[in-house]
Amino acid sequence: MDALTLAAPFAPELVVLAGALLVFLLDVAGVRRLEVGGAIASAATAVAFVLVIADLGFAPLAGVRTLGAGRIDLVPGAGAAPLYAFSSLGLVFQGLFLVAAFLVALASLGRPSTERGAPIFYGLLLLATLGMLLVAIASDLIFLLLAIELTSIATYLLVGYTRRDPRSLEAAMKFYIVGALSSTLSFFGASLLFGAYGTTNLYAIRAAAGTVGYPVLALLGFGFLVAGLAFKTTLVPFHAWAVDVYDGAPSEVSAFLAGGTKKVGVFAFFLVFLGPVLFARAGGPNPFSGAPFDIGPVVQVTLAAIAVLTMTVGNVLALLQKEMKRMLAYSSISQAGYILLGVTIGTAPAIAGATLQVLAHVLMKTGAFLVVAAVASLGVGPLIDDWRGLGAQRPALSVAFALMLLSLAGVPLTIGFVSKFVLFSAAVEAQGLYVWLAVVGLLNSALSVFYYGRVLKTIFFDPAPAPRATGAVAGAAGPPPLAVGGIGYARAAAIGIIAVAIVAIGIYPQPVLGPIQSAASHFWAGGP
Amino acid sequence: MVPLLSIVLATLLAGTVATFFAGARARWAALATSIVFLVEVGLLFVSYPGWPGYSGSLVPGFAEQESYAWIHIYWMHVNYTVGVDGISLVLILLTAILQLATVVYSWTEGKRPAAYFGLVTLTCLGSFGVFVALDVLLFFLFWEAVLVPMFFLIGYWGGPRRRYAALKFFVYTHVASIVMLVGLLALVFYSGATSFDFASIYAAARGLSPVVQVFLFLPLLFGFLVKFPAVPFHTWLPDAHVEAPTGGSVLLAGLLLKLGGYGLIRWAVEILPEGFSHVRPIVFGLAFLSILWGSVLALSQRDLKRMVAYSSINHMGIVLLAIGLDSSLGLLAAVLLMFAHGIVSALLFMSAGTVHHTFGTRDIPAVGGITPTTPTLSTLMMAGSLASLGLPALIGFPAEFTALVATWDGLGYLVLLPLAVLVVTAGFYLWMMQRMLFGPARGIPAGAHDVPAHEGMAMGLLVAVTVLFGVVPSLLVNVIANSPVKGFPGT
Repeated sequence: MDALTLAAPFAPELVVLAGALLVFLLDVAGVRRLEVGGAIASAATAVAFVLVIADLGFAPLAGVRTLGAGRIDLVPGAGAAPLYAFSSLGLVFQGLFLVAAFLVALASLGRPSTERGAPIFYGLLLLATLGMLLVAIASDLIFLLLAIELTSIATYLLVGYTRRDPRSLEAAMKFYIVGALSSTLSFFGASLLFGAYGTTNLYAIRAAAGTVGYPVLALLGFGFLVAGLAFKTTLVPFHAWAVDVYDGAPSEVSAFLAGGTKKVGVFAFFLVFLGPVLFARAGGPNPFSGAPFDIGPVVQVTLAAIAVLTMTVGNVLALLQKEMKRMLAYSSISQAGYILLGVTIGTAPAIAGATLQVLAHVLMKTGAFLVVAAVASLGVGPLIDDWRGLGAQRPALSVAFALMLLSLAGVPLTIGFVSKFVLFSAAVEAQGLYVWLAVVGLLNSALSVFYYGRVLKTIFFDPAPAPRATGAVAGAAGPPPLAVGGIGYARAAAIGIIAVAIVAIGIYPQPVLGPIQSAASHFWAGGP
Repeated sequence: MVPLLSIVLATLLAGTVATFFAGARARWAALATSIVFLVEVGLLFVSYPGWPGYSGSLVPGFAEQESYAWIHIYWMHVNYTVGVDGISLVLILLTAILQLATVVYSWTEGKRPAAYFGLVTLTCLGSFGVFVALDVLLFFLFWEAVLVPMFFLIGYWGGPRRRYAALKFFVYTHVASIVMLVGLLALVFYSGATSFDFASIYAAARGLSPVVQVFLFLPLLFGFLVKFPAVPFHTWLPDAHVEAPTGGSVLLAGLLLKLGGYGLIRWAVEILPEGFSHVRPIVFGLAFLSILWGSVLALSQRDLKRMVAYSSINHMGIVLLAIGLDSSLGLLAAVLLMFAHGIVSALLFMSAGTVHHTFGTRDIPAVGGITPTTPTLSTLMMAGSLASLGLPALIGFPAEFTALVATWDGLGYLVLLPLAVLVVTAGFYLWMMQRMLFGPARGIPAGAHDVPAHEGMAMGLLVAVTVLFGVVPSLLVNVIANSPVKGFPGT
């Protein structure tokens, strides 16, 4: 095969990589304009997105990516142990990752262009995106963990990118230490699994589990993997770092972390646990025949407990927050709990529901943090109380934010409602324990209405702080007046796209549901 | 066939969007929307009596049906299915009348008029949707679509304690909605319905055992009773009603409470008759409690608006009682009562609003003998109060009379209880009128002027409706009785 044929299936990854390299090269060459980096990053992610979506069968571009592979789902035959495999669910996730990266790249153009090292920001963003894309096509534990590592290292730097800000630096340090710990746990788990099964390939592990069963070594390995991935996915009790990091990082980076990179852990959960462990659910081939005891329930109860804890703890703590970013961070933790429900249930509809919830979360959380960034650029403080009266002063921005919060709360006509509806319906359909999971999830979303409602009340009903409302001169006591001028076209465009998408998908979700459904079914029936 | 319901929905949607973006002309956009809406509802009415010759529908008995695929994933088949029967048609008429009246009454609203009128139109859009939806999810969607604009109407345009009231309203009713949604979803899954459509659930639920029906009925009952509201789930109502702007109170009392009644009839009583028959004692208990508690509290209020709010609890208690009778006459009475209460409570809330900004207070003992100063206002208030206490020839009478006859049929001498409370109801209205409208003048500020033209027109419209349907209730009764509900001639 010639090089072109070999490279063709990796077109999206290569486009992103080329974008990253271009940004770094231009930086070396002395082109340090923010707009250039931003344009390259936006263009690269947009092109890659089109290439990925094309493969999901949207005419007339279908098949461009799979020139070399011939078809999307490369399920290898016996004996094959590939490092990567294209699954349609992986491609859906690649699409989601690229959406998050594109929106963040677009909105970051609104950052002050005098900032030092601005182009590097986009280079790192693209490198992190590349890692995420690779996660979505991994079929080998080591490949998977290395791809996660690529994302992590790039994001450590992104979090500490505003070097002058001690909070940002502290967050980066914390993120790095916790990240290193979680990587260690994951790799240790992978090595234990290798010890148990003699392979790190996920198909091979599944096949081996069918014959060898689950020795203690393998259980330990899965346990360490759960812990390592739970850190990445901010699941309780491995969540404590997330709030400080989301809070300290520049808001665009928080948007990328909460909306984008966190979902890497979600997909890893799909890959690792739906494949070998949970495959025994009705309809699938049973790998447990010959196992000393049925391990499925143990793992499921563990995952269910983590999911319930994550939803509840995230929600309760979000209720107590006074700072906007910390509130959003905790609400992001609770949303991860909803997503994990899908993994726990493990049926095709549940996977579809979780994937939809991931898409919803990408839009809502990226959007919410981008609004926080935009509002901060107007000179509004970090406390929720500082947002008083913003509804009257910035109606469009406030309405967009309100849509995101309503969607997070699961109010109908938003994507957040559709995703929760599909997810909880899947839980009820699975019956037994899962019905109670749905009940807990519903109670949690009822609880969340409290703090989202409070924020809405603050923004729209409370009067603006006096000095701002009267337009008093700056320098006096009290909060400074709102900065003159807008939030920038780029930011406005990104926020606008998100707000429209939240409502559009909320009203008519079928165009998105269709591909997700077929991807989830395919993944459930035979994917890695 | 002309997809009339979708056209109405599109009208309201376009009207809402146009109103939001109309800036200073928002009130005109809202007015145009309400007039077109009312005309379209008139068309619906005109075409309805042709039933029961209607055929070719998915659910026998629902007119104007439309169904399109909406969300189809795995076994979940959610459709955009709409249709009307007599019950929903009467409540749609109520929606259209109240929208027009609210827009006209609030004509001079100066605080962000575009947002105000947009939210009013959106609330009516949501109510219309609730009354026509024949799919669980579509129903829930419109149900919630009413909640959000009302939250903003109370929270931004309301009285001094508006923020507290808005949040309380939102949390209370949203939690109830979620419980209701759980009940509806459980209904779909446990009945094994093939889609989320009313018809498919209705058919599938026949096979459920009484025990399961009871368990499915309870969450639905709770969800709808909070909206009603029935004592002891009523505590959000006095706060929300008193703090809401007049237009918001009108829609709250006139429309939102009716959503609870309609939901209970359509999505609980009709679908789970066995479960309902076992739960009826609870329903009666709560109904009697609401009737008593509402009137006793209304009697003890000094604030005119608060008094009207508590009388709403009392009236909705009678609605609950009528539904609980589980007879065709009771159902007829319930729907008539809802229509009557929607019109009359709107009239009374408007009176309270006008009293408030004419005299600067709504305190009943503080203002008196207003008739010489403001004769028009006084007349309109009197009309509302008399209609509310059930004077013949006004809409309240046929409704309450039917309810009492139905109660006698169903419960025998227990009818004495609501009858006795009706006397109390008459008492607090008459006492209020005696203190405020007649007697020596007091608390009237210098230069107090009579009701402004636009407010008078809105209230006059409602009085006209009260008289029209009070004198010729058959205009409504014949339509309601054509519904495909048990016991009605239409079935």
